[in-house]
Amino acid sequence: MADRRRVNGPPGGTRPPVFASLQESTTGAAQRAQRQRQPAELRKIFLKTGLIPTASGSSYLEFEPSASLAAARSNPKSLIPPSSALKVACTVHGPKPLPRSAAFSPNLVLTTHVKYAPFAARKRRGHIRDASERDLGVHLETALRGAIIAERWPKSGLDITLTIIEAEDDRWWGDAPDSHDASWGMMNVLAGCITAASAAIADAHIDCLDLVSGGVAALVSDDSSKSASSVPRLMLDVDPAEHRSILSACVVAYMPARDEITEIWLKGDSSKAALEKGDVRSSHEALIDGAVDAARGANTVLSEAVTESIARSIAQA
Amino acid sequence: MPDKLITEPVSKLPDFFGEQNRCLCNKELYHFFNPFSLYCNMASLPQIAIPGQRLGPLSKYSAGPGTHVQDSFIHASIAGPVVTDAAQPKIQPKPTLRVSRVISAQDLQPQNAGASDGAKFKPRYNTLPAVESNVLARVTRVQKRQATVSILVVLDESEHLTSSQTASDNDNVASILTSAANPENHSGTDELRFQALIRKEDVRAVEKDRVVMDEMFRVGDIVRGSVISLGDQSFYYITTARNDLGVVMARSEAGNMMFPISWKEMRDPVTGTGEPRKVARPF
Repeated sequence: MADRRRVNGPPGGTRPPVFASLQESTTGAAQRAQRQRQPAELRKIFLKTGLIPTASGSSYLEFEPSASLAAARSNPKSLIPPSSALKVACTVHGPKPLPRSAAFSPNLVLTTHVKYAPFAARKRRGHIRDASERDLGVHLETALRGAIIAERWPKSGLDITLTIIEAEDDRWWGDAPDSHDASWGMMNVLAGCITAASAAIADAHIDCLDLVSGGVAALVSDDSSKSASSVPRLMLDVDPAEHRSILSACVVAYMPARDEITEIWLKGDSSKAALEKGDVRSSHEALIDGAVDAARGANTVLSEAVTESIARSIAQA
Repeated sequence: MPDKLITEPVSKLPDFFGEQNRCLCNKELYHFFNPFSLYCNMASLPQIAIPGQRLGPLSKYSAGPGTHVQDSFIHASIAGPVVTDAAQPKIQPKPTLRVSRVISAQDLQPQNAGASDGAKFKPRYNTLPAVESNVLARVTRVQKRQATVSILVVLDESEHLTSSQTASDNDNVASILTSAANPENHSGTDELRFQALIRKEDVRAVEKDRVVMDEMFRVGDIVRGSVISLGDQSFYYITTARNDLGVVMARSEAGNMMFPISWKEMRDPVTGTGEPRKVARPF
């Protein structure tokens, strides 16, 4: 569907040109970002609620920029940032009456909108939600529906809107497209959206079974040679720009107090991975367990943020 | 740049609830809860709960609003201060645990209730109308058989239970009505409010067949009503068939605020003309 109501930018984006010589130069201008964290170490998360006063609940979430991005910002060598870090704003409106045309519902009717800002990714996004954004919305709705106690809010609707201000890359920008390409960045975005939405819902005082948080784990292979010895390794909270190829990734929405998963999204080939010796799990299970661990980590930040928001409203009272 | 970045490496996750309790004690807000501690004398209860947090066993407490039960334990389902309502003999043998939804100054600082900070503090009412809850609503349409109203606020049940002085209720109403009378507050927001109907037979308890809707409500009146049914897809049903229910605030045709002079009449203080209304008994 073409957007006829606005004057849109060029559909291909407006990136500065990158010459092949730059990639081969030794100035380090076009170097792949390297993961500085341990395989099980998460990026830091900034999460705060209640930033949007007109909404009944809101939150803002930001991932820590990777070390190479931070270095590139302080000492720019190229116009092109080496990687990007997630920034999400979430608003919750409601509970509010259903529109007149809607049918009777004894439960809370949840609607989720995920929208990338036009400038969020390296490729420009349109103003109308495209298929991947709608897909994210559906995933998010599944994740939240399992956590919200919907029968406490009959005849009402809840609108959850997430704006992606900065998205994660699907791969390093300098890489040529290859067979392992998929929208890996979307999975990080979903995990961030789940955590942010959960904080905003708690800020709006909607009844929930638990705080649900999102986590990502992936099987990555950093070896450039295609030899048989390059077995993929399990890493938590991967930044796709930091890895040569991602074979498989998994997002879960997880409720730690109940040890329940409300949403799981697994992509790619998870058949072969190098686990630790004595680990009897299949790599598939290990991937899901890794994602759950990442979600547990995000939950510590989430519960702190919710406690802070309550403490703030008590201080105002 | 964010002013603070929080992280935990996955390898050493903190004890979830232990962390909560520790961080509470570290913060300065501890003193806020001292007046409150008489409710929370059970040492095991946290003072602030976050969704999913385990509060207490079902054998000791019964679950109130803002909580849910899982594996015979009461868990919080919203974030807020934990309140224990004392057991009532015969009706409720166990003390009720609830998580307060509206953090009111009155709930937390009883000695400062009614202080000047009431103006700056604006509680967010997002409680839904339920059967038997009292609501304040503005009349949007008067028809022969029914009046359409849009619900401005659902009066909090717990406020009625905990407030010892009846005056606070009156203050509450006044603050709500002044905000509702603010024209920029309700321009086109009726779509965002819950709609309700007052049917002709629900207006008053006596002489139901003599009711003339035009003499009961006018468009713009503020009505206190009690919800009798969740109704259909679009409307709740409200009754005013009690002495304390009915019009609480109305303007005359001249546009002046009127005062009640009887159960069925209000008078304009400027022009002196009376207008018929189903008047709520003033407190």
